[in-house]
Amino acid sequence: MTNGIGRAAGALLTYGFLGLMAFLSVFPFLWMALGATNSSIDIIKGRVLPGAALATNVSTFFTQVNAPLVFWNSAKIAILATVLTLAVSSLAGYGFEIFRSRQRERLYRAMLLTLMIPFAALMIPLFIMMGKAGLINTHIAVVLPTIGSAFVVFYFRQCTKAFPSELRDAAKVDGLKEWQIFLFIYVPVMRSTYAAAFIIVFMTAWNNYLWPLIVLQSNETKTITLVISSLASAYYPDYGVVMVGTVLATLPTLAVFFFMQRQFVQGMLGSVK
Amino acid sequence: MDNLARAYLPRIAGLALASVSFLAVTAAEAKEITIWCWDPNFNVAIMKEAGARYTKTHPDVTFNVVDFAKSDVEQKLQTGLASGTADALPDIVLIEDYGAQKYLQSFPGAFAPLSGTVDYSGFAPYKVEVMTIDGQVYGMPFDSGVTGLYYRKDYLEQAGFKPEDMQNLTWDRFIEIGQQVEEKTGKKMMGLDPNDAGLVRIIMQSAGQWYFDKDGKTNVTGNPALKAALDTVGKIMSANIYKPAAGWSDWVGTFTSGDVAAVVTGVWITGTVKAQPDQAGKWGVAPIPKLSIDGATHASNLGGSSWYVLESSAEKAEAIDFLNEIYGKDIDFYQTILLERGAVGSLLAARGGAAYEQADPFFGGEKVWQNFSDWLAKVPSVNYGIFTNEADTAVTAQLPALTQGTPVDDVLKAIDAEVSAQIQ
Repeated sequence: MTNGIGRAAGALLTYGFLGLMAFLSVFPFLWMALGATNSSIDIIKGRVLPGAALATNVSTFFTQVNAPLVFWNSAKIAILATVLTLAVSSLAGYGFEIFRSRQRERLYRAMLLTLMIPFAALMIPLFIMMGKAGLINTHIAVVLPTIGSAFVVFYFRQCTKAFPSELRDAAKVDGLKEWQIFLFIYVPVMRSTYAAAFIIVFMTAWNNYLWPLIVLQSNETKTITLVISSLASAYYPDYGVVMVGTVLATLPTLAVFFFMQRQFVQGMLGSVK
Repeated sequence: MDNLARAYLPRIAGLALASVSFLAVTAAEAKEITIWCWDPNFNVAIMKEAGARYTKTHPDVTFNVVDFAKSDVEQKLQTGLASGTADALPDIVLIEDYGAQKYLQSFPGAFAPLSGTVDYSGFAPYKVEVMTIDGQVYGMPFDSGVTGLYYRKDYLEQAGFKPEDMQNLTWDRFIEIGQQVEEKTGKKMMGLDPNDAGLVRIIMQSAGQWYFDKDGKTNVTGNPALKAALDTVGKIMSANIYKPAAGWSDWVGTFTSGDVAAVVTGVWITGTVKAQPDQAGKWGVAPIPKLSIDGATHASNLGGSSWYVLESSAEKAEAIDFLNEIYGKDIDFYQTILLERGAVGSLLAARGGAAYEQADPFFGGEKVWQNFSDWLAKVPSVNYGIFTNEADTAVTAQLPALTQGTPVDDVLKAIDAEVSAQIQ
């Protein structure tokens, strides 16, 4: 009897705690979505109910912002960065794990060390490099520095540890060359690793703020994150419009995440069963 | 791979074509002036208007106004200047007055001096002081933050005060009135954000002092105006005539919702005050209260920004001419930006225009713009120095101590120590 009560109390506590945490993580999203339907004044007053200003906010957003161009810029950068990063970094991760040597280990460690350098320290040298190369205010300049991602190389190397060497041996016996093994054996087997990395890299690229801010100079090249930042920093920001922008900017990452969720979870658990 | 090539070749070709046509355009001597600023509804819109006016008489000059967030403009400017990559910088940039000296002194030679071209005697002197180094004046004074005391006539009348009673106040009198307003109407006198040192800055500058003296040395412990300002804020707090606000939006809410009887701030708030149509006719504007120390005035400033031309700009001559023609001379332009954007510029002659002459029914027929324009010319000049933001942080950090009744001299010492530690 007491045991039952104890268990019920325990469950209540557990669910209460989980519920609270769920609420805390979902609430900002909820407020963002509701904010898009309210006027700026209502948002400041703290209204968290659906309002009637959605149509006004949306139309103000689309008159103030050249949305198709801005989203196209963001999408172009994010997709290009993701595809290139995955191609380069997965090759590197594969290479580091399969073809080991003492020198390569040193190189690998040196590469991991770069994870510890904050971007703010790299910003000005990188900017000078891009300036010398004549790439300021181009999307190439945004994408280039992200391609060789130490974190993604590290992630691929860790996952490659689970890639069975028997598969490689068998493929070799069947006469496949190294690039064929990578392309036709490794890539399909590591599908979920790629999916997980895709989500991570895509989200980072889509939300990237500081570097695009520094290197992009004109209204024609700006990404959605920069546009939202400038909307939100007006002397009297129209928060309803900012929320519309934020909701729209969140949709692509949400879509990517839900689309690849199953693979993502598998990728996190380890890809090869 | 094939696909990639197919997708990108046309684009590369397009890019090549585009650069060719770009070169062709440059050859035809069309000049494009690039400008960075930050508020789409304010300085961005105003600069577009200014550009359109200039293009009418100079069809060969076009404008590209790019808006970033204010902190983003600063970040980009800093990176561009620090890296020495000239083609990464705009031709004209907007800089907030509090930060202007920092850029001018940290990057000597980066900004084009305009003295000699622009007749600075026509501008509010304190705006010119902000952009002067060693007798050279850089920049074109833009929007002013000349301050006023906005008050609710209806609440004050209930408490027994007429508009005449609100003129030429001292801060002590202001606090007395506040106490009576609360007694009679139950309304607080003003909104106050304990994490914003804006009011301290307003009161300090009204007596012609700043955190730094004319030579840029820290001026905290021996600064009578700062001491009196902190004293005043402390009195407002202990008299409990304020409604506490958490952050900017909340502070704006204190008067838009009708919870307080007065607002002391820069003229740029006028648009927000007038955005409440149900409060039409209920507001009046008076000069801000005055301290009872030497050099005290009824005029001060909060915020404001100015335009600067980059020395490295390829269109430097055009940019300077543009600023001088429009911001330096075009009285009609100042009427337009006042009417459309509520912007009070720093050109004193603008007050002669029709928009400034108008009586405003929202303020019960007062000629508020004329008044602000009078006060604008009287704002004491101070040296904002390089570290205003750091000093401001120190003051903000000490405001709670003030609320708890710590003696003002101790608070000043603590601020001085913190400022010294921050700026080394």
